[in-house]
Amino acid sequence: MASERPLLIPSPRVPNTQDLFTVPVLLDLFKSNSGRRVSFSGMETKNPAENSSSVEGTLNSSSSRRSILSTHSKASGGGGNSIREVTFADLGSKPVRHGSRGADSEGLSASQKEISDEDARLIYINDPVKTNEKFEFAGNSVRTSKYSFITFFPKNIFEQFHRVAYIYFLVIAVLNQLPQLAVFGRGVSVLPLAFVLSVTAIKDAYEDYRRHRSDRIENNRLASVLVNNQFQPKKWKDIRVGEIIKIHAGETLPCDMVLLSTSDPTGVAYVQTVNLDGESNLKTRYAKQETLFKMPEKEKVTGLIKCEKPNRNIYGFHANMEVDGKRLSLGPSNIILRGCELKNTEWGIGVAVYAGRETKAMLNNSGAPSKRSRLETHMNIEIIILSLFLITLCTIVSACALAWLLRHKNELNYLPYYRKKDSAGEDYNYYNVGLEILFTFLMSVIVFQIMIPISLYISMELVRVGQAYFMIRDTKMYDEASNSRFQCRSLNINEDLGQIKYVFSDKTGTLTENKMEFQRVSIWGVDYSGAKSQIEPVGYSVQVEGKVIKPKMNVKTDPELLQLSERRNDTKEGRHVYDFFLALAACNTIVPLVTDTSDPTEKMIDYQGESPDEQALVYAAAAYGFMLIERTSGYIVIDIQGERQRFNVLGLHEFDSDRKRMSVILGCPDKSVKVFVKGADTSMFGVIDKSLNMNILRATESHLHDYSSLGLRTLVVGMRQLSASEFERWHSSFEEASTAVIGRAALLRKVASAVENNLCILGASAIEDKLQQGVPEAIESLRIAGVKVWVLTGDKQETAISIGYSSKLLTSKMTQIVINNNSKESCRKSLEDAIVMSKKLMTVNGVTDNTGGSSEASPTPVALIIDGTSLVYILDSELEEQLFQLASKCSVVLCCRVAPLQKAGIVALVKNRTADMTLAIGDGANDVSMIQMADVGIGISGQEGRQAVMASDFAMGQFRFLVHLLLVHGHWNYQRMGYMILYNFYRNAVMVFLLFWFVLCTAFTLTTAISEWSSMLYSIIYTSLPTIVVGILDKDLSRRTLLKYPQLYGAGQRHECYNAKLFWLTMVDTLWQSAAIFFIPLLAYWGSSIDISSLGDLWILAVVILVNLHLAIDVIRWTWTTHAVIWGSIIATFICVTVIDALPSLIGYWAIFDVAKTATFWLCLLASVIVGLIPRFVVKYLYQYYSPCDVQIAREAEKFGNLREVGDVQIEMSAILGPQRR
Amino acid sequence: MSSRGAASSSGGPQLGTSDSSKRISKKPKYSRFTQQELPACKPILTPGWVIATFIAVGIVFIPIGLASLFASQRVVEIVHRYDEECVPPIFSGDQLAFIQSSITNKTCTKNFTVPKQMKGPVYVYYQLDNFYQNHRRYVKSRSDKQLRSKAGELDISTCKPEATTGNNSPIVPCGLIAWSLFNDTYGFSVKNKVLNVSKKNIAWKSDQEHKFGSDVYPKNFQSGGLIGGGKLNASIPLSEQEDLIVWMRTAALPTFRKLYGKIETDLEANDEITVVIQNNYNTYSFGGRKRLVLSTTSWIGGKNDFLGIAYLTVGGFCIFLAIGFLLLYVIKPRPLGDPAFLSWNRNPSGIMN
Repeated sequence: MASERPLLIPSPRVPNTQDLFTVPVLLDLFKSNSGRRVSFSGMETKNPAENSSSVEGTLNSSSSRRSILSTHSKASGGGGNSIREVTFADLGSKPVRHGSRGADSEGLSASQKEISDEDARLIYINDPVKTNEKFEFAGNSVRTSKYSFITFFPKNIFEQFHRVAYIYFLVIAVLNQLPQLAVFGRGVSVLPLAFVLSVTAIKDAYEDYRRHRSDRIENNRLASVLVNNQFQPKKWKDIRVGEIIKIHAGETLPCDMVLLSTSDPTGVAYVQTVNLDGESNLKTRYAKQETLFKMPEKEKVTGLIKCEKPNRNIYGFHANMEVDGKRLSLGPSNIILRGCELKNTEWGIGVAVYAGRETKAMLNNSGAPSKRSRLETHMNIEIIILSLFLITLCTIVSACALAWLLRHKNELNYLPYYRKKDSAGEDYNYYNVGLEILFTFLMSVIVFQIMIPISLYISMELVRVGQAYFMIRDTKMYDEASNSRFQCRSLNINEDLGQIKYVFSDKTGTLTENKMEFQRVSIWGVDYSGAKSQIEPVGYSVQVEGKVIKPKMNVKTDPELLQLSERRNDTKEGRHVYDFFLALAACNTIVPLVTDTSDPTEKMIDYQGESPDEQALVYAAAAYGFMLIERTSGYIVIDIQGERQRFNVLGLHEFDSDRKRMSVILGCPDKSVKVFVKGADTSMFGVIDKSLNMNILRATESHLHDYSSLGLRTLVVGMRQLSASEFERWHSSFEEASTAVIGRAALLRKVASAVENNLCILGASAIEDKLQQGVPEAIESLRIAGVKVWVLTGDKQETAISIGYSSKLLTSKMTQIVINNNSKESCRKSLEDAIVMSKKLMTVNGVTDNTGGSSEASPTPVALIIDGTSLVYILDSELEEQLFQLASKCSVVLCCRVAPLQKAGIVALVKNRTADMTLAIGDGANDVSMIQMADVGIGISGQEGRQAVMASDFAMGQFRFLVHLLLVHGHWNYQRMGYMILYNFYRNAVMVFLLFWFVLCTAFTLTTAISEWSSMLYSIIYTSLPTIVVGILDKDLSRRTLLKYPQLYGAGQRHECYNAKLFWLTMVDTLWQSAAIFFIPLLAYWGSSIDISSLGDLWILAVVILVNLHLAIDVIRWTWTTHAVIWGSIIATFICVTVIDALPSLIGYWAIFDVAKTATFWLCLLASVIVGLIPRFVVKYLYQYYSPCDVQIAREAEKFGNLREVGDVQIEMSAILGPQRR
Repeated sequence: MSSRGAASSSGGPQLGTSDSSKRISKKPKYSRFTQQELPACKPILTPGWVIATFIAVGIVFIPIGLASLFASQRVVEIVHRYDEECVPPIFSGDQLAFIQSSITNKTCTKNFTVPKQMKGPVYVYYQLDNFYQNHRRYVKSRSDKQLRSKAGELDISTCKPEATTGNNSPIVPCGLIAWSLFNDTYGFSVKNKVLNVSKKNIAWKSDQEHKFGSDVYPKNFQSGGLIGGGKLNASIPLSEQEDLIVWMRTAALPTFRKLYGKIETDLEANDEITVVIQNNYNTYSFGGRKRLVLSTTSWIGGKNDFLGIAYLTVGGFCIFLAIGFLLLYVIKPRPLGDPAFLSWNRNPSGIMN
């Protein structure tokens, strides 16, 4: 990764200064009492951020490929993931980083890399002119708007014509402009296209106007920028890269900037990144020690920052800064991104590195990739068939026209209705037979153009907007806890929700709340379970300066343990308890925030941190009297049973996924130095001194087993006292490692491993990862609905299985197949064995019993449990196929310890091998790849930031809403959309055939009896609204029925509403209906004095009534809107036809008035419509009555109310229906 | 979309993510509309409804069918094809030469008997077969603007190939339709008494008033090399040229009738009618047939059995279907909404497959 070229800047290793300061510090340490001692005397605090966390994280899936082995961070139970480095410069004020967690860990394997010159951008601090002269960096003015006033028209039109449908429109309109081909009037033929274009253009213009407005507001905000050694207000849009900016508390960052100094003497700045990633807790950012005391107003600050090219990774930043001849490396904790807000820090000064559209916030704005609905993909086949129909019709017409022309070749000039030659004796509008036929063909394409239902695409979009409106407005999908509605981020795939066969779910935060609750604890081999006491916990509180401080959350306490903890150091037991809780309170990265409450004598202490596990532990420690009160850089204050004690934080090794533990080195008030370690059991047992307390170790181990089988998340805590020499050794190597430029992360890991050994076990904690409300019921419903739920989690196997049981994913009836392997060969073998076994299970138990009559009678379900290590060998190899075979036989699949990219791999495994729809649901950044891979991606807008939501197609607050989304809205959307597509095909084809029949009576010359205005308005006014309204509002079954019988969801999975058979049936019906309405009037009027316009009016009215009645027969739910729109359309057609016939300039002037006076007209209208509808009506009735589908029976049951309760299909739905049921 | 927009999109239509607005609940307001719970009628095709519908259709259709068949039967219609007969035998080999010649005598006298009493007014039609008045080239070859007012006289761009005379002066009325004006004439007499044929009010009032101008006079009409059909009296405005107006309401189908005139008196049964036909119109060039039609009228229009038969058929078929469904229902009823018919109850392992 390192650049091949030598770097321009010499390595910034500065052993001299570091070494110099080591000794005094150590002296200082051992001398120091608990008194506060702050010294800034030029002591250097190395910033901790230069760890290797400059990673192209999950945002950039291609580069995160290399992180495939890294484990899902949050599930591993530890604290923050980044390695934490603290140097020893100053005890009194040491920066402690509670650095950003998240994607960092993904790339630990990618060690520190140097930036090569080509990949770098150079920024001269405080010299924007020089910075910008060589490179054209983007200004800070942002433009989210797409168009300017001038470019709007051409650009918008150009963009709209990216759609094939519009091009078809355009070609037809252009063809029609040719004088030889002008079938319709020129104006009329452009009308549909113009209509569609202008509607979209108006919509775009409005949206763009809003964007312009917000851009303007954004660009004209003011920030203070250093100009001529003075901070002056400057508009955001004028800020340039390289300028020095000062931000005050509460202000929003105008661009991405590297911190130079802050009001805090240690260079800490707190920022809120809620606008960026949705996380509302405060994050800390640091200024470099070297720049901390520079005052840009007084002395000129110069320097050079060499940083990577702008990228989307909001958790990664990689740069070097050269200042005063020293080279410092910068990491993600040194940069504050645009959109963040400065909090709890008076001011911060920084230098702009990325501006405007190059900021990470703007680069992350590109939204989710658009997906195409499966229904639409299927529809394309039918569109092709329709195109073939169109070509066939045109060919028939052309061939007939050819035959006619040849037969009348010699008469052409004598035919009074043809007259080939004009008065001058020249051929008029007649070229030769070949051209005539070509023209006939093209003209017939124009006349029959609506065979391809362009209006369908527009209708579909409108319908989807309407469906989205109802989904967003659904009170049942509103999450009270996070105050979030359902969100439709992608409007293309509503109907796919009705056809899902596979659900891939994340566990933490999706199935579970990600709210950790401290449940059980094992200290020194004794299990204290809070279950013994059912009394409501009385919140522990302390008095400070006359005020009561209470933790924000109360934790259930075990009374026995509470007593022990109060006894403190008196007994041996008490000492262990003391050490244990001290470890819980200290060994973390939590920041306590003291806030005022409504009661003036009370204060609330809120623990802010990035890991919910740590929060739970700290709250638990507080409940037992070890309340973390204050954390500054360098020391923490813990109130231990009412006595405030200060502990110096001498060093902190942050959590990383290789070690799976974190440790803190504390200088205690009694001047001893202790290292406290907490971590996952697997990693901890390796570093615990086994020679000590074997019994306790065993007891703890068995407790751990109990806990994890209960589905609890466990952590083991250990400690060790460090001797002075040990400490010194650690310290010097720590210093060395943290100042290393290359491979620092690995070095630090080595240092950490060196000190984290021979630990004395203190105990273990168990935290409950609470299931979200309604999850078991939701999973049960989905299972009954025939949806396979796969859980992909980073958790360990035992935890995953226990969550599986508690969420009813696994049942006792299931046979579990577990695959844990360490090599490809063993994977292959166990897969083969498993396939054989699953086959056996399927056949042996395949005998159904007829008594149950429910889902329980199915063969023994098989559950597959597979871990990430095995998946490494299976995915991307030939074993994939076997895994898929096995998995498709299993009703449940649990994947544990999977990395983010493996999640996507598993989704792809299913997606690429079946035509079934897949859905992925998750809440964290680690789910992004999976969400984007699946056909439908759903983000849970929970606690874990917005990454998943940003990448998703739909977002919602709770997992249980999935039931409403799929079974109810998905079912409705699919049924509506499927019907609408078929209906639109039918509607347009009826019209085309009607025109076609008439063409056969006009010597194949493409005359239309129906006036051109009516033909054009047919799909715009006469028949468009009913299908859209029905597509939005019609629903086949009530929510209640759909939830009661999740099996009804199968209609979508079986493609019941839209398939090839239905399409062909519809087309046959179309042929009959068009024939009925054409031939009945034809025969009735044959040889009569009817004129062309009158007959045309009859036909258009007949077809509109027919088509609308056809819809009316199929409407399932008649609300007033349906009535209004269907009857309204028929009335509107009458009005339009009347208006058209009242225009004297048109040929059909007054025809409707004339013809409507005759009885024949009305009799023809009635007869043709009735005759047209009879076959459909009969078939529909016979089919519904004698071969009813499930939906039909459920409809009848709903209507006649004799819904018998069907035994064990019944499940408790109240949890899914939610508390706000009406 | 900007970061601000993205952040606020969680709020749906409610914008603003500031801390204060977080307090505002984004819970969607309940309304029956947004929850899709509007009161609705949910019709289901039950056997009762379906059978009733078919019976109702039958009950409506059969009487209508009978009535229209009866009305059609009452209409007295005399159809007489004359295009062949009115060519003298010597020209039977070359009908075209006969009709195109200006010297041949085109008068032709025919007699026929009135089968039944015909109450006045008796409508006189000419019927043309195989004449595509709906031919695209033909239909388009007219200028409505020119017909409507004098000002539009030069509006002849759509009239080709019959727009101007040889020396480029515009033809009024221009276009193929006018050019091919039908010009056979009929003179009727009963028992040597001339039957008056009224040629007034045979065209639509609306056409006369709004489509054909009273200030537009024929000009240069039928003066070209090819004579298509009838000539017009240049001193009568177009709005009074009812034959032209009737002709220019182009027929929908290749076999059509056009009103020639009305005989206001009754014709008695067995009356011998003599028709003197001026056989001028050339249908011989394309094998068209010409017929003379005398017809009374009824509420259903002219003689037309088709509608009556169609209604009777449809009505009968519906009754038949109703009976069939009824029998089917009696033989093999299915309880509506019976969960036993649900697929997963019929086939318990259905879910797994």
